[in-house]
Amino acid sequence: MSERPRRRRPQSRLIPPSPSPPPEAAPEPPKNIPERKPTNSRPFLLDFFPLESEKETRLSRFYDRLRTGRLSTTRCPKDDLLHWPPRTACPRCHTEELEWVDLPEQGRLYAFSAVLAGAPLGMESEVPFSVGLVDLDGVPLRLFGRIEGKPWTELTIGLTVRVEPFEVGDGRVFYRFRVAD
Amino acid sequence: MSGRAVAVVGGVTPRWGVRSATWSELAQEVGAALFRAVPGLRSEDVDSLFVGAAEPERFAFQSHVAPLVAEQMGLRPHRIVQRTELACASGQSAIRSAYAAIAAGLSDVAVAVGVEKMNLPSMAEANTAMACVMDRPWDGPAGATAPPFFAMVAQRHMLEYGTTEEQLAAVSEKNHRFANTNPSAQFYEKSFPRDKLLRLPLIAPPLRLGDCASMTDGAAAVVLAGEEHVRRFTDTPAWVRGSGQYSDFHNLANAGSLTDWVGLKQAVRQALGQAKISIGDVDVAEVHDCFTISEIIEYESLGLCPAGEGGRFAADGRGDVGGDLLVNPRGGLLGCGHPLGATGIGQAVEVYQQFAGRVPPARQSPDPEWALVHNLSGSANVHSVMVYQGGGAA
Repeated sequence: MSERPRRRRPQSRLIPPSPSPPPEAAPEPPKNIPERKPTNSRPFLLDFFPLESEKETRLSRFYDRLRTGRLSTTRCPKDDLLHWPPRTACPRCHTEELEWVDLPEQGRLYAFSAVLAGAPLGMESEVPFSVGLVDLDGVPLRLFGRIEGKPWTELTIGLTVRVEPFEVGDGRVFYRFRVAD
Repeated sequence: MSGRAVAVVGGVTPRWGVRSATWSELAQEVGAALFRAVPGLRSEDVDSLFVGAAEPERFAFQSHVAPLVAEQMGLRPHRIVQRTELACASGQSAIRSAYAAIAAGLSDVAVAVGVEKMNLPSMAEANTAMACVMDRPWDGPAGATAPPFFAMVAQRHMLEYGTTEEQLAAVSEKNHRFANTNPSAQFYEKSFPRDKLLRLPLIAPPLRLGDCASMTDGAAAVVLAGEEHVRRFTDTPAWVRGSGQYSDFHNLANAGSLTDWVGLKQAVRQALGQAKISIGDVDVAEVHDCFTISEIIEYESLGLCPAGEGGRFAADGRGDVGGDLLVNPRGGLLGCGHPLGATGIGQAVEVYQQFAGRVPPARQSPDPEWALVHNLSGSANVHSVMVYQGGGAA
């Protein structure tokens, strides 16, 4: 690894969502994914962000798609079952033949709170931060995540939020939500 | 229940709180206290040891804790020795495992002990340990820990049923008041009147400091015995009559309704069904008040009141002395603190002492026959319930 270990997460950068993600009908083997070195720059057991590369997880396509601005998950075609989190085997029929589908970019706040004290390592400087459960539009999924864009005192149940992929700062990506304009 | 009858025949809870003691020292202390508390208990009687510990790797940089605890307590278990881990319910898991082993004839006399050391030089490290309970690669990066999750539960309960901050404070006031009768409680001799509770700082809105169980160092231990060994130790055994568990989900996305705890209803039905009683027969209950809202929803899920009326049940004192059911007389997790692996053991110690008539009058259930113990773990995704009967023969 050429990178120096870093204890603190640099400023996250936004990844603009791609304007119109092409619909993906069938599972495809990953193509031309560049081989990456392990991407974590902190000791793994002190790092909340997951390992994302093809070498490290069978769900690397989730992160590859997120890197292009698309939040996605797996779906079992046999059971017509949308999973969260993405899986390698369907929990109902146990098939491993799953497909990747993009998720809606918008949803509504079902519940929220804020962490005003008691943050884990690496998140202390982010206090206060808001978290919430978001009902994604049009799909039966209620995702948990950070809620950005307004202080917790101005959040309300039912507020429209957008999915926002972001770079962790060392090549990895994750997702959060931002209050829609 | 089939199989051999099993009872808790004694136990002890040393002081809980912010302790000037290491993880191992807490284990050694509870061992010494157990042998003082259970007359006639000899090391060689104990054939099996079950250690409830949620996260010694994170809190004490220590694995393989079952033999460590055996050594600290002065035990040489020679049938079964193991750790049980179920986060906040690790202690009850130790008791359930001991019960199952004795009922099956694999053990005659077992110790179930819980140990947790949560106050670290860096509380951010301790908070990191707590965060590992959640679905770490998915919910963890967002900062999911118990307080914001249960805050959302409270927010939904307030929205759906009109539950109020004052009703939450009623739970906290009751349990802190009971803790003042319990010298082992973290908040012994600390006063928390309702108006003070409502002025404490917000931790995860709408939950304030007094709505949240603390990070606690502590241990507790009980002895369980098969029916033919019970009378060697006590005349007031707490017989295990029912045991139920239900694991509903893990990732927060799969929680479904935040306010309808289906898993608790299932676990309670199992445990009461095995004991062949109904909730109305229960005289004293130790339930998992990790947050005030938890106890309110537990009133509802136990069937003590209809859905949505738990807040009013609390405010009307129906879980208090002289109410419908005495709930958390020990002081609960709110008043005693919540050393994860020790909590379920401490609850069983209270049940044993309630049956023995050995708790202070201010929290003694009058002549109790039936007791129920509940632990949830994680994001209320797992519920564990045990039912005990006092008095009578096996």
